[in-house]
Amino acid sequence: MRQAVAVAVTKHRLDSAVLQKLPTDSPVVASLGAAIASLPTYQKAFADAPPAFTEVGLRYSHYTEDSLDKDLLVFGDRDRYDIDVTQLWIEAPVGGAWSVAFDVQNDSMSGASPWFVGTNLDGEPGVIMSGASIQDNRVEVGVTTRYFWADGNAGFNVTHSDEDDYEALAFSFDAAWNSDDNSRTWSASASTSDDSVAPVKEAIPVFIDQEELDTQSLYFGVSQVLTSTSIVRVGLSYTISDGYLTDPYKLADQRPSEHERVTLNTGYRQYFVEAGGALKMDYRFYNDDWGTDSHTLEVAWQQSLGRHSLTPYLRYYSQSQADFFSVIADTSTDFYADDYRLSSYGAITAGLRGTVMIGDWEVEGQLERYDSDNSFSLYGGDAAPGLVDFWRATVGVTLRFD
Amino acid sequence: MRLLRWVAMVTLLSSTVGCSNIEAVPAWERGYLAEPGMQWELSRREAKFAGHVYTSKEASSGGSGAAGGGCGCN
Repeated sequence: MRQAVAVAVTKHRLDSAVLQKLPTDSPVVASLGAAIASLPTYQKAFADAPPAFTEVGLRYSHYTEDSLDKDLLVFGDRDRYDIDVTQLWIEAPVGGAWSVAFDVQNDSMSGASPWFVGTNLDGEPGVIMSGASIQDNRVEVGVTTRYFWADGNAGFNVTHSDEDDYEALAFSFDAAWNSDDNSRTWSASASTSDDSVAPVKEAIPVFIDQEELDTQSLYFGVSQVLTSTSIVRVGLSYTISDGYLTDPYKLADQRPSEHERVTLNTGYRQYFVEAGGALKMDYRFYNDDWGTDSHTLEVAWQQSLGRHSLTPYLRYYSQSQADFFSVIADTSTDFYADDYRLSSYGAITAGLRGTVMIGDWEVEGQLERYDSDNSFSLYGGDAAPGLVDFWRATVGVTLRFD
Repeated sequence: MRLLRWVAMVTLLSSTVGCSNIEAVPAWERGYLAEPGMQWELSRREAKFAGHVYTSKEASSGGSGAAGGGCGCN
């Protein structure tokens, strides 16, 4: 019986229904309470246990930006970026207390991007594109080792990213630990990234040979079990970058050499027993010393369908413009930029994700649409003509085995 | 200094959470909390991918743990 109950607890869904039918004063429950409480069952909501299986996965995503509206184009190719992304990983338990994950990602990019903003024959702002299509390939390799103990876990990651014009080496350390009653989990992480940019001098003129950028980041968060069907978390992050932050592929772009940003993020999960689904809500507030604030709200409903799942989701994002942004860059000031990514705008993402289990295989599919517009913003500010809209589709398979 | 403000907020957050008095949910009633839909991320690789896309196309970043991982930001 002891073993049966323990197994039931470890295999969540059916088992929770079984267990919740047991009276709390049941001698079985009473005698097993401490043992059950110590089981490393509730991964991610609390500090993790080592993975029970080896996992091998492959994902392919295609990202494609809409062509620039012809009314917003002054010169160049209207076609923007297409990116093919392949992710491959293996994650396995090692011994009784460790896990190792090995990740490889390849991004194959092609297309054109805005070079600068000028005016058309009517005097309206319009985009001059970068001309010939740019080809680039990025390869990222990462290794993560993680150690688990009774009340928490700690991981160390090293990631190297290399593309034609950009190289980065990042290290991160994270840890999570539980309260005595396993109701609360504290988590913290620190990371550092050493980047080098060496622009390719082909389609458009660039004015640097090689520059460096260092970034450090800290995160602290707490999650708390509220009820048997709800959990909440809150976290704070701080990031500072020092070095070359200008976009070398923009004609009129000069940014400060330091960038501090903080975020406050919150999350809430509520499980609905009758519906067999979970409501997921996340919110992030962002603030930086370039004058940009932003709000991000994400809402999803993850419906369980036996071993399968279907998850529609929405994301709303709004940011204010950076202090030195203007629709047409004012190059008479110390810092200036006409990059649409520093303008005031809002964006709405709508997506659908599905997973299907076939034996030990999980097959996933996802489709997402991103639309941005100045009128979607919560903030004032002029509309940048280069705002991006895109589609993204993903398919993937994951195999788990002993 | 944003770092000092951040440290102050972390300290405040820690002390506030430490003082909260939420009744612990017994271990045998936590099965629903382990449902896939109750996890913070849809999947770890999806979170990494989506985070990289948004960081490349928007001015904001951070809030999901450690930073790092190259540019890919044209």
